[in-house]
Amino acid sequence: MNKLAIMMTMLLPGASFAAALTGQAVSQSGKPLAKATVEIEALNVSVRADESGYFRLPSIDSGEYELHIHAPGYAHLHEKVTVTDSSSNVTFTLSRSPIEVIDVVAAPMHMSVMESASPVSVLGGETLRRQQAATLGDSLDRLPGVQSNFHGNVASTPIIRGLSGPRVLIAQNGLDVSDVSRVGPDHSVASEASTATQIEVLRGPATLFYGSGAIGGVVNVVDGRVPTDNDTRGEWLLESDSVNNQKLASFNVTTGVNQLGFYADGFWRESDDYDTPVAPDIDEPDGAHRVANSGEESNGLTIGTSYLLDNGYIGIAVEQFNREYGIPGHSHGGHEEHDEDSHDHDEHDENSDEHEHSAEEDVFADLEQTKVQLLGEFTFDNDWLRSVSFRAGHTDYEHAEIEHGAVGTVFENNTSEIRLELMHTAFAKWQGGLSFHYKDSEVAAQGSEAFTPPSTTKMIALALMEERHFGEVLVQLGARAEHVTLDASEVLLPPLAAHSHDEEHDDHDHEEHDHDHDEASLTRVFDVEQTFTPVSFSAGMVWDFTPGYNVGVSVSRSQRAPAATELLSFGPHIGTGTYEIGAMFALTGDEEHALGLSTTPTDLETANNIDLTLRKTSGDIGFVLNAFYNQVDNYYYQTNTGLYAESGHSHGDEDDHDHGDDAHEHSDELPVYLFGSADAVLHGFEAQIAWQVSDTFKAQVFSDYVRARLKDDVDLPRTPPLRVGTQLSYLTDTISAHLDITHYAEQDRNAPTETETDGYTLVDAFVSYDWRLMDQDLSVYLKGTNLTDTEARVHTSFLKDIAPLPGRSVGVGLRGYF
Amino acid sequence: MNSIKNLSLLAVAISSVLLTGCGDAETTINELPPIEDHDDHDHDDDHDGEDHDHDAESSGRLMIADADSNAMAVFDLEDNSLLDTFSVTHSGSALTHSADYRFAVVSSRTNDLVEFIDGGVWREDHVDHMHDYEEAPALSDFSLVGSQPTHVVSHDGQLAVFFDGNADTSMPASVQVVSDNDIATEANDIPTLTYSVNMHGVAKPVDDMLIATVRRDDAESVSANPVLPDSVGIYHWHDGEYEQEQLFAGECPDLHGAALNEEFVVLGCSDGVLVLHAHDEEYESQKVSNIDELNGMRVGSVYAHHDVDTFIGVASQHGGGSAVITAIDPDHGEMEVINWEPETDAHPVSYGFSYDGEYFLILDDKGHLTVLSAEAHDDHEHWELTSRIHFSEEDLNSMPDNAGFSMSVAQNAPLVYITDPIAQHVLIIDLEHGETEGDIELDFVPSAITWLGIAEAH
Repeated sequence: MNKLAIMMTMLLPGASFAAALTGQAVSQSGKPLAKATVEIEALNVSVRADESGYFRLPSIDSGEYELHIHAPGYAHLHEKVTVTDSSSNVTFTLSRSPIEVIDVVAAPMHMSVMESASPVSVLGGETLRRQQAATLGDSLDRLPGVQSNFHGNVASTPIIRGLSGPRVLIAQNGLDVSDVSRVGPDHSVASEASTATQIEVLRGPATLFYGSGAIGGVVNVVDGRVPTDNDTRGEWLLESDSVNNQKLASFNVTTGVNQLGFYADGFWRESDDYDTPVAPDIDEPDGAHRVANSGEESNGLTIGTSYLLDNGYIGIAVEQFNREYGIPGHSHGGHEEHDEDSHDHDEHDENSDEHEHSAEEDVFADLEQTKVQLLGEFTFDNDWLRSVSFRAGHTDYEHAEIEHGAVGTVFENNTSEIRLELMHTAFAKWQGGLSFHYKDSEVAAQGSEAFTPPSTTKMIALALMEERHFGEVLVQLGARAEHVTLDASEVLLPPLAAHSHDEEHDDHDHEEHDHDHDEASLTRVFDVEQTFTPVSFSAGMVWDFTPGYNVGVSVSRSQRAPAATELLSFGPHIGTGTYEIGAMFALTGDEEHALGLSTTPTDLETANNIDLTLRKTSGDIGFVLNAFYNQVDNYYYQTNTGLYAESGHSHGDEDDHDHGDDAHEHSDELPVYLFGSADAVLHGFEAQIAWQVSDTFKAQVFSDYVRARLKDDVDLPRTPPLRVGTQLSYLTDTISAHLDITHYAEQDRNAPTETETDGYTLVDAFVSYDWRLMDQDLSVYLKGTNLTDTEARVHTSFLKDIAPLPGRSVGVGLRGYF
Repeated sequence: MNSIKNLSLLAVAISSVLLTGCGDAETTINELPPIEDHDDHDHDDDHDGEDHDHDAESSGRLMIADADSNAMAVFDLEDNSLLDTFSVTHSGSALTHSADYRFAVVSSRTNDLVEFIDGGVWREDHVDHMHDYEEAPALSDFSLVGSQPTHVVSHDGQLAVFFDGNADTSMPASVQVVSDNDIATEANDIPTLTYSVNMHGVAKPVDDMLIATVRRDDAESVSANPVLPDSVGIYHWHDGEYEQEQLFAGECPDLHGAALNEEFVVLGCSDGVLVLHAHDEEYESQKVSNIDELNGMRVGSVYAHHDVDTFIGVASQHGGGSAVITAIDPDHGEMEVINWEPETDAHPVSYGFSYDGEYFLILDDKGHLTVLSAEAHDDHEHWELTSRIHFSEEDLNSMPDNAGFSMSVAQNAPLVYITDPIAQHVLIIDLEHGETEGDIELDFVPSAITWLGIAEAH
């Protein structure tokens, strides 16, 4: 916030003894910093320095102010300045920071990789363009503390410090992205990196800002869809990659006239199935070196407009996002046992035998989302209120999973959300404000894979966030209380024909009871209403104990209301290859394998987290070291019951099938997993060290690690392995070259049902050449990924054994800025 | 490890000092009446007709059109009560059911519009069980738009609406195919076949295939009336379009009427009926010529049932004069006249098979329901008169204008529902016992009726 260029022109009417503050921003070697920004937060004033680093803040009341000065490539500077009646002239000297520092936008507190008490990473600018991928998790995969749950190149979500799913919130411009990606690993995130300006990652509990669903962290994709100024500028990109024949085109442009700002962005991407260094399925080593059904086609268009005022802006943007992607490994019932011949018969209506369906075996998803966002921010010259920011959104999401050319399951999410932040003027030197947050989500699934009943979740929250500098110490405090209701009027408890494989010793008899179970079985129906009041607190401090260094501590207690899937599920979830049953249910034990309502009360999940950070913020060497310890009470997770249940697609077609071709195997069965809760502990570290060797050459090393286990020492599944990476960069005005080598260690701390995953090393390179042509900055680039063509199986992926990372790929692209 | 323990202690210590506030969680669970799970593999019930078990599932609903307005009334067959009344856009629309009997399909030929009303009773495959829904009926926002929707036919989970197009406005004919799920989810991309000319045609969906009539160039056409197609195309839906895979060119002059069962497709032509039979993904054609007993008429409507080998063909004079009803045996390539022993001057107004294929029903304009059933001789089926129910004693001269008897067959029991516009009621007729089981009083003149609900699997 407060970066609005228009605020330069802001006048302060009641200022009778106004003075001007002028000065210059320079580097330690005395070089003027042309792109430096100087801001006085208390006054909502911000100004950009000219070509020679000079700036002028006109008409400031005399007094003492805290200034925040930042420039790309340099450490942020906070300095107190006393403005007297006559003009004051100051020089700010910024030190170089080899670690890129980008502020988190629209946060009520100071947040950046170098400044905040809790850890933050921001991927922006050139780095974002270099790392952007078709899916969000893969785009963020190289940030410390973030790994991807790679799902065959078509879907992926970020895993932050070992947590994902309903614990990591994905936002677009601060509002929930509102898709169904939190529910299944094969559901794509409805957000695009190629049109974003930056992607922010808050590691560790961020419920303070985002509420339930952010207990493990937040990923916020930021773009300029509602323009805050109307300078004409834009960006376009064309790229092609060899491994999957991907073609990408994207653009974004901002312009305007008078008080109106206009914005548009769009992208189009198409890719085929991708190649792998080895046969993708570990059980079929002679298979083709290609992951079938991993192609995608997506496009999106966003149009926004805003009305720009002297003290702020208000605007609206509409986005249409479409994506059609194959779901590799989405066969019905256990990938490994998949049996082509029985498949046709198990599946569909009675006439299917007549037609060849081999081409339509593949399952693909057709996703569509319409997103409307209304964003505004106003500053006031008021004794109490400093600024108001307003965000409201409505999204209408639908994705259909198409099997055999017919719609199998339709997932829908309709969400409305409002956030209102009221920032007060400094009060006893405390800065901060109140945040109101309301969200209403209706989620429904219809069809064969509708494992969760339709539900409506409503959340209303109030949060207070404050920060203050005490000399060299910045203190940040926050608290948030929420009221969450989860309504599901038709939760089903069907009789589960589950059985253990041990009992039948492979004699295949059990199939019979399926066809003549005559006992009248009842599906119990429940109307469930849950009310939760999660409360979160956080306290942190950052102490600049010696120039160029700081140490941060952050302690938080965060609560989360469990999601509908974790409580109410009952059915086969092909994306995870399990039969999922929510925590509302439990094995009763009276009858064999019978399920009833759980007698354990549903409770909130509570995370107690402590974060320690040591940073070197400036100089030729910079580093950020984080260690965290997160104790999660009542952690919701799935346990394997040891039972198996039919995935079911064969169940519905009752009529005149010749059951003579009894090719039934276990192929249509899934292991039954039951949600429950237990206390868990996650701890680990992230380290990032950068060395600016010379003006053109920089070397960076990073590493991250997490250990995730239940208190009784059972390891949690799909925990990212230890990782160490290095990046060497060479940058001149025209040439930019990067070499990345990342080693993923072997993961042998596995959940009981998991297998070990071997380590691997990935080598990526990137070279670009920049030049200027017809008022445009052009950049042509060549990038190579997985240059050694290494077999890389991702431990965090549900498709580990059937879809490794893509093999060697060479991409070429052209980018322009104006 | 020590340091981690210390960290843990520190975290807990600081947390507990700072944070005494605590979240709260409350759960309210109300158990609702359970859903009976259907045993999908049990086929041997109720074909003996004795003990129809209506407890386990909904009896279904009736949608009845008002002859004098655009109102549609929905009755619950559990207790024969009026559930709701809906206004569709146009009055005088045709009424039928969707492929799985969840929706009433209201098509207005003159207004180029097909609307849907959710009857509220349907079944979903919930993998572990078949889940039956019984909800309030509702007018769907989903509609189909096209020039002159005329023949609306269902087969095996799909509904095909044939839009005749209009020569006057140069609108070509087209076919749109929707499943109940498409209607429920208000699907956007409806499989559509668009022709280049108008025609009075018909199409039958079979999985991802569509058997549809084709009107050839008038110069080539062998139809006496060129608006009637003379050819049949086999189309395959892939990559977002229907692609013609086979064409039976000129094999069916003046094509009108079509039906299909598991094995055969039968289409009415001026010179006989065209029989199509699938072999190794290819259809083969065969013609059954008109027989002398047709007296120069031709089969213009064809009826079929999933479980019945015989097709019933109806040859009648234009305007509903006397009709000759024939049994068509496509397997042997034979056609024979069924002696249905009509009452004097009785002209059929509606036909249909009972839900299990046991009976073929003929409703006539003199207040009779004629019930035919088949007897097997060798491997031939012979259809004969079984019973006749005289359901209306009203003075037929008081039949309101533009109204007539109409019927709809229940798909879960041997019942048929007949509207009587004179008495303003619906009669419920039990086919097993050949008698009227009850009636539903109406406060309007009914013009059309359709049964909705969960069809019993065959």
